[in-house]
Amino acid sequence: MKRALPVLALTVAALIPLWRYAPSSGTTETAEAAPSTPTPSASSSSSSSSSSSSGSTTTKTVKGSTVNTSKGAVQVEVTFEGDKISAVRMLRQPNHPQTTAAVPKLISATLEAQSADVDTVSGATITSDGYKESLQAAIDAKGA
Amino acid sequence: MLRVEHVMGFPVSVRIDDGAADPAAAAEEVFAWLREVDARFSPFKPDSEVCRLDRGEVLAEDVSADLSEVLELCEHYRVATRGAFDVRLPGRALDPCAVVKGWSVQRAAELLARAGATRFCVNAGGDVVTAGGPWRVGVRHPEQSDRLCTVLEVTDGAVATSARYERGDHIVDGRTGRPATGLLSMTVVARSLTEADATATAAFAMGAEGIEWAASQDGCEVFAVDAERRVLRTPGLPVAA
Repeated sequence: MKRALPVLALTVAALIPLWRYAPSSGTTETAEAAPSTPTPSASSSSSSSSSSSSGSTTTKTVKGSTVNTSKGAVQVEVTFEGDKISAVRMLRQPNHPQTTAAVPKLISATLEAQSADVDTVSGATITSDGYKESLQAAIDAKGA
Repeated sequence: MLRVEHVMGFPVSVRIDDGAADPAAAAEEVFAWLREVDARFSPFKPDSEVCRLDRGEVLAEDVSADLSEVLELCEHYRVATRGAFDVRLPGRALDPCAVVKGWSVQRAAELLARAGATRFCVNAGGDVVTAGGPWRVGVRHPEQSDRLCTVLEVTDGAVATSARYERGDHIVDGRTGRPATGLLSMTVVARSLTEADATATAAFAMGAEGIEWAASQDGCEVFAVDAERRVLRTPGLPVAA
């Protein structure tokens, strides 16, 4: 298990460029995304670990230090089975678009009926028969 | 200039306000293209390429570049919706209409742009593609045909709506083989009508979960009415002032 902590350090080090990488910040900053020695700027909590043994393989869970990045604090937890990493879990992650789901937060409202002056109307595919009675037909008649 | 003609079983309104040297000729080009699409891709015309492919008279590797593009789009949305959107339903004829419509009307808009039109609005049976706006695009209320449920402002882009109120249960959830009933109405705003129409139809086929799915699609803004008449929309939806 002596290998655990170096591996963990590398795991954290590998994540740092990821948080630092800002896709919108232009094209000349690729150097920043290159792996560099992590220099946590402020608080670093101490690592802690727990282990359990079942049969021949030992399962060990190690908590990494909290690393402050420009996007916020990052902390990972790595689970080892024997010498192999079996899981990596984010304990702390920055509240940043890269770490939230791609689905935007939807706005909820009640259905309301309204009338308004519009140029055109979007709706379910209308049949040629249905068109005669439609708002779009009225708009077209006005514009013709 | 405004011209309305019925093609592919629905009305198409072409309005050209600016740019084209000969707006009437530009509009005629649009309708000629849409009539050609109808002849080539209609699943209701036995001699269309779609029907001949379905009957095995045209081999998959011999389809035209246009049909190949349409079928690739269909496959993209089938995979993206995990089978909810599927143009090859068991026991039914190949029916790529849902993608053909948006794709062909988007091409029509590109014809207008190439003819010099800078400000135009095409409405193909409820699917809208615009340029040179602002254009005020109303979204039909799902339960009251003479009312709107929101008004959008679109400059250069497309708006498509899928619902059951005009043609009944015509959209089937490919995962169950049954009509999709989870939504009353699904409207998508996107850069192109190809994306807006396919995304709206595919999301409608998925039902309620289609709202989040559509909202997560790149470049798509969503206005959806679920079966409980609740409106859910993305924050970036261009609602008119």
